[in-house]
Amino acid sequence: MSAAPAQLFPEFIAETLGLPGVAGEVVAALIAAFVVGNIVLAFTGVAGPWAKRKITAAFTDRVAVDRVGPFGLLIIPASAVQLLAKELIVPEGVDRPTWDLAPIVLPASALLGFAVIPMGHLGPVNLQLADPEVGLALVFAFASIASVSLVMAGYASNNKYSMLGGLRAVAQNLAYEIPLIVTAMSVVIFAGTLQMSGIVSAQQEVLFTVGGFDVPAWYALVNPFAFVLFLTANMAEIGRNPFDIPEAPTEIVAGYQTEYSSSYFVLFYLGEFVHIFLGGAILAVTFLGGAAGPGPESIGFVWFVVKIWAFFLFTQWCRSALPRVRIDQLIEIGWKGMLVLSFANLVLTAVLVGVIV
Amino acid sequence: MIGLMKSMATTMKHALDGKTFTVKYPEEAPDVSPRFRGVHKFSQERCIWCRQCENVCPNDTIQIVQDDQRNGEQYNLHIGQCIYCRLCEEVCPVDAILLTQNFEFTADTKDDFVYNKEQLKNVPWYKGIDPLESRNPDRSAWIGEGDGEVDYQ
Amino acid sequence: MSLEPLDSPDADVVPDRTPEELEALLGDLVVGRDDHLNAPGFVIRPDTVQETLSTLKSEAGYDHLSVVTAQEYENRYESIYHLKKFDDPTQEVSVVVPADKDHPVSESAEPVFRTADWHEREAYDLIGIEYDGHPDLRRILLPETWQGHPLSLDYDQNQPQIASLPAHVNPIQEHHKDAESDTMYLNIGPHHPATHGVLHLKTVLDGEQVVDVESDIGYLHRCEEQMAQNGTYRHQIMPYPDRWDYISAGLLNEWAYARAAEDLADIEVPEYAQVIRTMGAEMCRIAAHMLALATFALDVNGDFTATFMYAINDRERVQKLLEDLTGQRLMFNYFRLGGVVWDLPEPREEFFSNTRDFLDQLPGSVEEYHDLITSNEIFQMRTIDTGILPPEVAKNYGATGPVARGSGVDYDLRRDDPYGYYDELEWDVITEDGCDNYSRLLVRMQEVEESAKIIGQCIDLLEDWPEEERNIQANVPRTLRPDDDAEIYRAVEAAKGELGIYIRSDGTDKPGRFKIRSPCFSNLQTLPEMANGEYIPDVIAALGSLDIVLGEVDR
Repeated sequence: MSAAPAQLFPEFIAETLGLPGVAGEVVAALIAAFVVGNIVLAFTGVAGPWAKRKITAAFTDRVAVDRVGPFGLLIIPASAVQLLAKELIVPEGVDRPTWDLAPIVLPASALLGFAVIPMGHLGPVNLQLADPEVGLALVFAFASIASVSLVMAGYASNNKYSMLGGLRAVAQNLAYEIPLIVTAMSVVIFAGTLQMSGIVSAQQEVLFTVGGFDVPAWYALVNPFAFVLFLTANMAEIGRNPFDIPEAPTEIVAGYQTEYSSSYFVLFYLGEFVHIFLGGAILAVTFLGGAAGPGPESIGFVWFVVKIWAFFLFTQWCRSALPRVRIDQLIEIGWKGMLVLSFANLVLTAVLVGVIV
Repeated sequence: MIGLMKSMATTMKHALDGKTFTVKYPEEAPDVSPRFRGVHKFSQERCIWCRQCENVCPNDTIQIVQDDQRNGEQYNLHIGQCIYCRLCEEVCPVDAILLTQNFEFTADTKDDFVYNKEQLKNVPWYKGIDPLESRNPDRSAWIGEGDGEVDYQ
Repeated sequence: MSLEPLDSPDADVVPDRTPEELEALLGDLVVGRDDHLNAPGFVIRPDTVQETLSTLKSEAGYDHLSVVTAQEYENRYESIYHLKKFDDPTQEVSVVVPADKDHPVSESAEPVFRTADWHEREAYDLIGIEYDGHPDLRRILLPETWQGHPLSLDYDQNQPQIASLPAHVNPIQEHHKDAESDTMYLNIGPHHPATHGVLHLKTVLDGEQVVDVESDIGYLHRCEEQMAQNGTYRHQIMPYPDRWDYISAGLLNEWAYARAAEDLADIEVPEYAQVIRTMGAEMCRIAAHMLALATFALDVNGDFTATFMYAINDRERVQKLLEDLTGQRLMFNYFRLGGVVWDLPEPREEFFSNTRDFLDQLPGSVEEYHDLITSNEIFQMRTIDTGILPPEVAKNYGATGPVARGSGVDYDLRRDDPYGYYDELEWDVITEDGCDNYSRLLVRMQEVEESAKIIGQCIDLLEDWPEEERNIQANVPRTLRPDDDAEIYRAVEAAKGELGIYIRSDGTDKPGRFKIRSPCFSNLQTLPEMANGEYIPDVIAALGSLDIVLGEVDR
């Protein structure tokens, strides 16, 4: 836990490019943010038009996207061009600045979250933009801005389905944010820090050894109960099945995004996927040892990518199999079930940590 | 929870078995049944211009024009309006109009679907199959006259 | 068979009556007789409809108003109330209500039978009879601004048929908009992912809860009744039933027409053809129920659910068999009056083995659906005790088919009013007592298994059928002209419930009046009973569990 904090990505860039002073730091930070942002956007680019469809097809015994390019991969640029080339339809009576801002706020908030995520080493580079001491609190703060965007979209669209979607989004986020954060607090109690790098390094210790293989103290293994709680709350937080009720296509058409088309729709779509990946990243950092995995530290980023994609796959798996809960049932599960369980977990963890440590 | 697990296990089983139910059409086309009813094919050599098909057609898809000698001049069929009930083939005493198994036809406008005599003659067999054999038309079944008096319409 | 009727005290109390006894029971109410081929018909005065129907309902046990047929004659209008008993649908009675030619007004039956609401609105819409005391006599199938009544005799097709909405609006009508109101009006449909076609639900919401829901139908209205009236009995009508319930339930629909027309023209169908019909019809039922299950999963699970594709795959398998048999995948046109058009496809062994393969893998599939949806806790949370339809309400609305059987109403025409080869075969009528969305789904899933049993027995029979006795069609005249002014109402158990056809012949080779009793039409009418007070997702689920096909609702 006391290992010296690794060099962060902007510092690495400043050093490599030899950028001096405050101005240099700013430029290096911007470059680093640009790189990280694009890595994340590249994930969503692969996930949205291609991987999601391939995965869904596999679950439903179908052949999917195989027409354009090898494995159909060229569908990604094709879809991008297609979506962006569409006409942006602005419905009558929308609340203009709000309506335009909502699709920017969603991906922006989710991308901001990646600022503090330690994405592991790729060679000599430590892919983490910043490592503030309140990292975990910060990332939850960023992630929850997303629901503001949904409300903005729902309210500004001048559409009743959007309105319902927006209201559902607020209700859902209120009901799940608290259990999510309370469960994350149990991790903080274990790690003794809110700093992301600290939480990751706390999970490097060996929990026990099985046949010469060191099982690390990932919190998913230390406290599987908290892991399941967190996973469930996380699904609700990012609005995936069985908690995709703000969209709920068979009920309220497309919820808050009903009235969006063209590039605005793309931004929402993108934001949703970045949000899924952010959810995966938070899960990886808090419960799955961050970028840890077999092999040298320099391939940590690969493990990190594997973990967030595994989470993405999990969301798609749930979507193929699980029914959507009803809004009132969701609120009930959130407030009456998850909240109680997460507090119980917190108290239990606190007692255990107090006794053992 | 067990039910949820079962659901998820079932879909994962389908995902992992690698089998697909859909096919890569048009490279692999699923079989079409021998009896399948597709676009019509017309044979002018056989046609005796009795106009029974025009008469039986439930939604006036077939239009026949004859000259004053009752020689056939035009045989038009709107394959976009047709409901593919096969009654024309069924009433035809000489198999002059047949429904091929060909279902792959497209046009830019609806008007292009109005086929004239020549177009109908040139409709290809689907995979070269003449479906007449498999349809096994049981004419005795439908040209019966009942037990009452003979009705010549 | 499997379950005793839940609530049929009448069955023991009310004795079956002969037409004469019924006439005596009604006494002075009857002003004449107009018997139909299927039932005695009592002519009554237009102002005694409620009295007559409530007497028949409460004292003679005729608790099922199947359909209301309206028609116009040269000298009068006429509404016919086709009554049956849920316990024994072979006991039928028709109540014929003539109305004045100049001022066709007749008393509404709505207070006695709730189902008369929509049926009378349809009669008003298409024929032009006004029903006195009807709570809400508006057009139902045609747009509000339609001019004239298309099935009336003096309807002028050359007149402009529809007025613009501004021209139609009543300028002095008060505007009902309460600024203080807590409710929100929401249009669900006509273009909505979960309305199963073009259905428009006018919904009033209080938050997420539904205060009131009203179905607006007719977007797919093609006046199929009129199309049938313009077709010849012998050939031209048969392709159209496929297009009512077009969800691959075509053979079941064709059977409804075949049964009515064959009974009207007194045609005997060869036994061999009956077995083929029974087999084909049950294949259609499996296909239709598979789609019902698939779309219900879609409504509850959300799109991208795998269950949808799995059920579509199973439907595809049975459609393949139907394609081999009939030559088409949806619009079969396979039945003919007096039989079927083709014998089984050659080689027969291949068809039998394909069918057996399908039947063998079916139990595995059904088991998988139980794993996927019915045993899933979230699914149970969503469907159990939502969309409640008590049996009494179901009967009052004339709900039939899996909707009624999911409410414990033990009513299945295949058993209760046997036709085809059903009474020779071993199978059970499925009922569930839950009255909720879940029960209706369970009924459909079990009915698939029962249908498989029937198909298996039919296959065995067909395989052993001696070659020289394979007669697929009776000898039917090329032109059918049933006797003038014969009237018949006959129903079969279609995929969604009782699909009935009323035909009045007028001495020509085309029907004088052709009326379709659509099960979906009556079933959809129950939606407000299920949905009011529930949440939006429950409305969607209830609608999905009703399994309506708009082609049949609107006809």
